[in-house]
Amino acid sequence: MKERYGASPLHLLAHLAALALAAWALLQALQLGGWERIVLWLAGAIMLHDMVLWPAYTTLDRLARRGRPAGWVNYVRVPVGISALLLLAFFPVICDKGERTYMRVSGESWEGYAGRWLLVSALLFIAAGALYLARSRSGSSS
Amino acid sequence: MRTPPGPFRPGFWKSPLRGPWMTAVLGSLLLVLLAVVAVTGFLSHAAYQPDLGRNALVDPDVPFTTFFDWPTGPSWLYALTQGLHVNAGLVAIPVLLAKLWSVIPRLFQWPPARTPADGIERAAIALLVASTGFLSATGVANMQYWYVFHFDFVKAHYYAAVVFVVALAVHLVVKLPVALRAYRSRGVLTPLRAGIAETRPEPDGDTVAVAPDPPTISRRGLLAAVGGGSLALLVANAGQSVGGPLRGVAFLAPRRAGGFPVNKTAAGAKVTDAMVGAGYRLVLRGGPSEIMLTLDDLRALPQATHTLTLGCVEGWSTRQQWTGVPLAELARRAGVDEPAELLVGSLQPAGVLRQATLARGQVADARSLLVLRAGGEELTLDHGYPARIIVPGLPGVHNTKWVGSLEFRT
Repeated sequence: MKERYGASPLHLLAHLAALALAAWALLQALQLGGWERIVLWLAGAIMLHDMVLWPAYTTLDRLARRGRPAGWVNYVRVPVGISALLLLAFFPVICDKGERTYMRVSGESWEGYAGRWLLVSALLFIAAGALYLARSRSGSSS
Repeated sequence: MRTPPGPFRPGFWKSPLRGPWMTAVLGSLLLVLLAVVAVTGFLSHAAYQPDLGRNALVDPDVPFTTFFDWPTGPSWLYALTQGLHVNAGLVAIPVLLAKLWSVIPRLFQWPPARTPADGIERAAIALLVASTGFLSATGVANMQYWYVFHFDFVKAHYYAAVVFVVALAVHLVVKLPVALRAYRSRGVLTPLRAGIAETRPEPDGDTVAVAPDPPTISRRGLLAAVGGGSLALLVANAGQSVGGPLRGVAFLAPRRAGGFPVNKTAAGAKVTDAMVGAGYRLVLRGGPSEIMLTLDDLRALPQATHTLTLGCVEGWSTRQQWTGVPLAELARRAGVDEPAELLVGSLQPAGVLRQATLARGQVADARSLLVLRAGGEELTLDHGYPARIIVPGLPGVHNTKWVGSLEFRT
């Protein structure tokens, strides 16, 4: 059994139990209105990283590294990465996606999110630049 | 069958940082964060007390609902659990991305399943990745009022969480020994001592590059960058969860405006001036006979003042001084001793949250009020004038506004 299956029967039973429970939960979800969109979002959740985010950041990173000395690139990719991460997680406020709903429920409007994201990004780039300058100075003087 | 080109070939992978130890560290950090998110998520489900009245937002027959009464203290309990849920969820995003990066060569392994065991494991991992991404994406969109998904968020988020928990449990059973082996052979923290110059690929493991590039960042550097990303997301949002002056620091939080935030305006709830005018009556039911009280009657009853925190499911909170009639006092006026439940009805004409059922302990708590004044001022219409509920530790939306009826049940 082990030779053909590739693991112990406990491995198989644990997975069958998990898949059965997950299938139960998915069947419950499929009874909800808009279940097609739930399936789409589940599939999209895998694709978003593997087919969009990962190829995008890997390509950008390889371009940034090309022909440059090791260590140089971190001063760029860390602040750029954090800025991109803020955009990814707060895309709805930065791009005013939920503003109409927000105004209806809260009576207030959203202002300045894109501007604050740009300001914080600029601060990150300036801080990384200052750090690079300070380190290269102290490196050349010693 | 021939191995397809590109990422399916082992030589494609160049990072010298990938390996079982790196994955174990990222996986351990992610496990702690996602455990906090999952536990607080199910606690939020329990805090809505789905077994009472029509409180259930997910199917009321769903198993593993609540087997304890949600406590009434401390008053910031729900603000804490839900603040943890939303903020730990945000903090987990960079760790999740790094974890996926560390194992992505496995996505392109050839053949796709080496054994049946490998195949079933990968099916479970697909469910884990799908549910984690689904929960993150819908959670992030929902907290920012972007209802782009067009399905019932609460139900879908709940069932996806069940998929996530079972898929994570089986993943742990399989991978915990792999992680422990990596920690034992390489030391839990030893690889963090190496700077860029001393960073070497891990000696073995199926995600280790066969022809790695020279390192451009150390392992501790990678973890610091991930931590920096997590910190940025935390600072961007956490102020709305803590409230007070920190709210302004939360530079991307949806609820960063100061003052006393309105969850839903009267206009949004379709409550009009006519509904709360001179004709307003509060109906007390459950006793020998129905009792009608005008706003002046309510003002003439004994009042109490308490400073309590109101926490929203979206992860923001506000602390206010509330003045009103204790619910226990209203139960006595209605002629019901120690009610087992209280069904609160709103004047709001529609919506699932136009009513909420409170448990015995919540009605009995001396700090549970039918609020007439907040911060020493009469309630504004948007905050629930003429009367709203405040119960310590209760999820925000169950503190019903524009209360029209109280039905005490024994």
